Amino acid sequence: MKKVLSILTFISLISVGSIDLNGQCNPDNFANACIPKLASGFNFLKSYKVDGEGGAKDKVEYSYVFTKGTQYMINLCANGAATDGIVVTLFDSGRNKVATSKINGQFISAIAYPCNATGIYYIQYTFDGSAGKCGGSALGFKR
Amino acid sequence: MRLVAIGFMALLITACGSKKPDEKAFLESLDSAKTGPTIDEEVISSILQQIPSPLEISVLLKESGTKYNPAILNTSENLSKYNSNYKKALNLGVYGTDLGYTNIYEQNQDGLKYLTSIKSLADGLNIGQFFDIETIGRLATNSKNLDSLLLITTQNFNSINHYLQTQSRANLSVLLLIGGWVEAMQITCQVAAKDPKNKELQEKIGEQKIILEQIVLLLSFYKDDANMASLLKDMEELKGAFDKINITYTYKESTMEIVDGVAVIKDNSTTTINITDQDVEAIRNLTNSIRNKIIS
Repeated sequence: MKKVLSILTFISLISVGSIDLNGQCNPDNFANACIPKLASGFNFLKSYKVDGEGGAKDKVEYSYVFTKGTQYMINLCANGAATDGIVVTLFDSGRNKVATSKINGQFISAIAYPCNATGIYYIQYTFDGSAGKCGGSALGFKR
Repeated sequence: MRLVAIGFMALLITACGSKKPDEKAFLESLDSAKTGPTIDEEVISSILQQIPSPLEISVLLKESGTKYNPAILNTSENLSKYNSNYKKALNLGVYGTDLGYTNIYEQNQDGLKYLTSIKSLADGLNIGQFFDIETIGRLATNSKNLDSLLLITTQNFNSINHYLQTQSRANLSVLLLIGGWVEAMQITCQVAAKDPKNKELQEKIGEQKIILEQIVLLLSFYKDDANMASLLKDMEELKGAFDKINITYTYKESTMEIVDGVAVIKDNSTTTINITDQDVEAIRNLTNSIRNKIIS
């Protein structure tokens, strides 16, 4: 009986998690999990899927127009409490690096970016020693 | 063993329950208005997702002390005018912006009227299943639910856009987005007209040049469609007025520090936006003209 319950618990955990029985990445779950983790006061804008397709992709990139005077937050969600080696880096339209979630070798799960220059920005996710190469992210804003 | 089987069944039911709405009904609804662009739809999606939410403008207006003014919105009573997919998609965007505006100002009674119109337009485009009117309606009855209301409304519109793009109906997604942007522009221009010394608002109008360039690019992919070509012509005229505005960007390396587990960036780059009162007036007039065509 105990064994059966353990199996059921294990299957349930897999089903509500983000890597299915075949080891496929389900980044939607991670992306959705990230939305309520935006800091208080931030309004949700977008959720992003971060799927490295088992190593086939070394980066996943999105873009968004950030506007001067607005503060943005980008957070990361992956298996476990940490970011599983997923790093988010922000580039401006000229591909200059504006921000990164890996600081002094430390993986940070959220970036707060008070934008001072309106323009198109690239939100790039990379995998730095990531085991699952699977995660999600949410973007929010506040004035 | 029976328990395992029951467990699997339960999981299957749960998984099916969380599936997206009736895809079959939507696929069956695809009509002859489906117009495929000649460019990779991934490119279109990547441009579409760049466009900022009109909610940002509403938050700016409220936080700068601008009073709520329903007269500058498109009345929900115009709903019956929108019979083609083209008009429905554009005005779904318009009403989406208006709903966001009423939500931010916590004007729930007005918001509910927009909600009804939005649901009707979305149903007309066979994407009503993505709009959770019951939950939104319930949240809208209590101002304490503002955060949840904004969240679910944004999620619903994101789901609609995502679904349209995956169904090769990005043309509707483009229209939805343009309708929302034009309405936000119109609201900003109307407020700026009453507060001509507000430089922040003028700059906010000026920086829309970056977004308009993307909109013109998006529409150019669909210029074989008569409606889209006509809208493109209007937007190009508006772009002509924006071309007089200079936006100067200066990059300077940013600095970062970790505060409470968050990487807090200090952005040292700047943009300066040179826009005159005459530029604002020209943009306002053209925006108003385009918006009137959309909502009439």
